[in-house]
Amino acid sequence: MKILNPDNLRVPTEPGKTPCLLGNRCRDCGIVVFPKMPVCPSCHTNGAMVEVEIGRTGKLYSHTISHFAPAGFTAPAFQIFVDLPEGPRIFSLVGAGLPVERGVLEDGMEMQLVVEPLADTPEHRDELTYKFVPANGART
Amino acid sequence: MRDVAIIGVGAHASGRFLDKPMKALAYPAIWGALDDAGVKATDINVAYVGNSLGGLLTGQEGVRGQVVLQHSGITGIPIINVENACASAMTALRGAWLEVASGAADIALAVGVEKMNVGDSARTIGALSGVSELDLSELGMQFTTSYAIHPKINLKSRMAEYGWTAADFAKPAVKNSYNGSLNPLAQHRRPLTIEEVVQSRVIVDPLTLLMCSSISDGAAAAVVCSADIAKKFSSKTHITIAACVLQSGVYRLPGDERPDSATTSAYAAYEKAGIGPEDLEAVELHDAMAPSELMLYERLGLCGPGEGPRLIDERITTLDGRVPVNPSGGLCSRGHPVGATGLLQICELVWQMRGEAGKRQIEKRPKVTMAQNQGGLLLGQDSAVYGCTILKS
Repeated sequence: MKILNPDNLRVPTEPGKTPCLLGNRCRDCGIVVFPKMPVCPSCHTNGAMVEVEIGRTGKLYSHTISHFAPAGFTAPAFQIFVDLPEGPRIFSLVGAGLPVERGVLEDGMEMQLVVEPLADTPEHRDELTYKFVPANGART
Repeated sequence: MRDVAIIGVGAHASGRFLDKPMKALAYPAIWGALDDAGVKATDINVAYVGNSLGGLLTGQEGVRGQVVLQHSGITGIPIINVENACASAMTALRGAWLEVASGAADIALAVGVEKMNVGDSARTIGALSGVSELDLSELGMQFTTSYAIHPKINLKSRMAEYGWTAADFAKPAVKNSYNGSLNPLAQHRRPLTIEEVVQSRVIVDPLTLLMCSSISDGAAAAVVCSADIAKKFSSKTHITIAACVLQSGVYRLPGDERPDSATTSAYAAYEKAGIGPEDLEAVELHDAMAPSELMLYERLGLCGPGEGPRLIDERITTLDGRVPVNPSGGLCSRGHPVGATGLLQICELVWQMRGEAGKRQIEKRPKVTMAQNQGGLLLGQDSAVYGCTILKS
């Protein structure tokens, strides 16, 4: 197993530490972006971005069920956008344990980050990435 | 800047042409445009060739424009390859327009060509995912998903916000399928009903199969020249490019209150052309997923928030309406060979403005028209490319 993109995702090995995303905060204007970028996209300052740990939790902004999949992925599958408390709104997949059905997710619900294989396929089984699951279990 | 005229257009039919490579798709479009303009291959000073997926899907990673144009007898001149996702062809047109407007060239050619059917639709869908920024596509995000729930589009949320129903979503597909049924170059030529669009297979909730543009091969081309020499070549309706605007997406965080990029590009075009949305008499717009047409009505200033379905109900944007939208059938019916689409839109507008659109001819020949084209997806919650062209006759 390897982390798909170690620049985006920190998976601590120390006990008690939870995984998180790695973003950038602009020292000048304060905005937080994910994934990282060297120049602030808001105030356009170069060299003011510092790494920050973000995204341990989030709020579901929008969700859908995709009934077809590109090569290397499976369907049906949830595809979602999550609002992170630090600012960014990011695309994510949903943890594999959830039934892929209408009514399981609800926009606005609290989510938490989990680390799982990208997809249960030969192409992506060994690649770990971030996904989100409902923080308090599924709605139904 | 000089005024620029479009003196010739040509298109290959859109659809599934497994046995045709890119150059065979492009050839009839290019020579359709040259013959239409009354120019020879050797009259062309410069050419821009738009294509998006040809590298991945055909293996012709480089010099696709030179390959395609050599096959059509156009060699030696500057040829610029353009990749701008689904707006590649509009970007090619902008290059050709700018060459002539600036005085660098007198006659320029813009081509868009796409070969999407390669006998393996998973591979095509994979390639198409690659016009989103890799950080998105490597997670399996697809374009259809972006239309359903992406913050900038979020058709699903519009159902809740405006009370739009599945039947409302189907309306543009039904309207455009009728237009497409009258277009001999269209990929899908069967008129659809609301019921069958709603009841077709769900692709990405709430979008069904018949609301989505499909995998398509095709090509289109346009010859542009300095307006003052247009009459030397063509006695057809004199059509000028009143605006040809290209913008890229901006990085947006939640709460971004700047106007939508489709709106800013359209209004930049209106300003350059000295008109407003109320002056448009025909529009071709980027309905990659049919319901996005409802949203684009708002963004182009054709109606207020949430009013999209009304424009179809009241037959304002139908072929017999005040401002027909997608008379060609649009992306869902005419077809969406991605790197050709922007010029297919231009072809349709030119034919409509000349009165050459056959059975789908708008009764009162439009004199002021717009083509709106966009493509790609960025991490910063915006499409990558927005193009907007206004034509006047």
